[in-house]
Amino acid sequence: MYWKPNPLLIIGLAAVSAPIVAHAKIYVSVEQAQKILLPNKPLTKNPIIITDDLQDRMRSASSIRHPFQGDRIWRATDGGWFIVDEVVGKHEMITYAVALSPSGAVTGIEILDYVESYGYEVAEAQWRNQFIGKTAADPIKLNKDIQNIGGATLSCKHLTDGVKRVAVLYDIALKNQTQIPKAK
Amino acid sequence: MIRCKPLLGTFVEIATPDCIYFFNAIENAFVAIEEVQALMGFHNPDSELSHINARCHLKAVHIHPWTAKVLTIAQEIHLHSGGLFNCGIGHRLVASGLLPRHFDRTDEFGGIEHLQFLEPNLVQSNLPLCLDLGGIAKGFAVDLAVNILQCAGVPSGSVNAGGDLRVFGSETQLIQIRNPAKPHELINLGNIYEGAIATSSLYFAKRDHALISHLVNPLNQEHIEFSESYSVIADQCVYADALTKVVSISGNTNHPCLSQFSAKAIKILSTHTA
Repeated sequence: MYWKPNPLLIIGLAAVSAPIVAHAKIYVSVEQAQKILLPNKPLTKNPIIITDDLQDRMRSASSIRHPFQGDRIWRATDGGWFIVDEVVGKHEMITYAVALSPSGAVTGIEILDYVESYGYEVAEAQWRNQFIGKTAADPIKLNKDIQNIGGATLSCKHLTDGVKRVAVLYDIALKNQTQIPKAK
Repeated sequence: MIRCKPLLGTFVEIATPDCIYFFNAIENAFVAIEEVQALMGFHNPDSELSHINARCHLKAVHIHPWTAKVLTIAQEIHLHSGGLFNCGIGHRLVASGLLPRHFDRTDEFGGIEHLQFLEPNLVQSNLPLCLDLGGIAKGFAVDLAVNILQCAGVPSGSVNAGGDLRVFGSETQLIQIRNPAKPHELINLGNIYEGAIATSSLYFAKRDHALISHLVNPLNQEHIEFSESYSVIADQCVYADALTKVVSISGNTNHPCLSQFSAKAIKILSTHTA
């Protein structure tokens, strides 16, 4: 181990870099996550309409208020599922993908992006939308120098709640879809 | 590429150079971390740790070599820290509602020092134990992932378990830590080459509305409160992770235990401003 300390830190001077208003980390794209979680399984987009009743039941099961979008669901030829969702907490927005086996068991979870904020912005759809669909190649709001961030451990509890609502989605809306579509 | 999964109760990032050949190495590193979670998680009543807690005072329990390794290091640091690091405080966290209650017992609990190794992978205790490896297993998992990546030929990279991280490879890497006064601001700590850093602080615990600190002083069994942050830099993340507890509980960044493990500590006051 070799540590070359920041000299400003040693003498107790300005060691704080410019405040990060939105710290965004984009990890993998939807396509990459599909290859990671369901390798060699052709997927077909399988959007569903989320009724108010379904939205309510997912909300009560997971305590996540942010509505679920039914257009990011894919089905594999073997009957498995690939679902993209996001959780919006007070301090962060996390887009993630969940893979389910044909029987609804979670077989993998992958984080697509993680946007952190300590302000009001995260609650506003417009602010969040600027990050949606970005790839790691997009320079917007991404500071490539900010990579290794240490500090107190962040909890992934919100994400656990998100995965709960995907499980509810499967139970209520996906389980009884018997027809397996052909891959295109 | 950088990949991220929710594991060990936090977000685990693995960064490697972009190369298709490293795909399996990253996957295997995540699988190993999942296995550490399955073996050593307190929340899971079927984990090996839960088996130890449920019955090691009744009969000897066979354990995985990784669990044995973590428990051995935990005993080593307990010894050198004069008891400031002790995983045997799980019952305090259960009592305060921070960890789930798996059994109703109000016994006198022993500490990590009461755990005896009958064989390298066989343990028992003469007192009931309620061990929580939350302060050390994360660092161990980071080291394990780094070893897997290196053995697979990944030349450089980093593994970051929600802020406890290790960098490896031919180049030094810039490390930033969160400012405890304003966690969305980062403090430049300098460059690390082949090393690990872990941090102990309560700013996220308080942000997430925990009513009580998750850090317990094993000597008086009381929850401790502080507003600053303590980081430890060491060769391996398991030592950095565990030693942050020694430093934050003692408030001493020159604790003699640090030199025993070739580690250095940094305290960042919560009043630290630009």
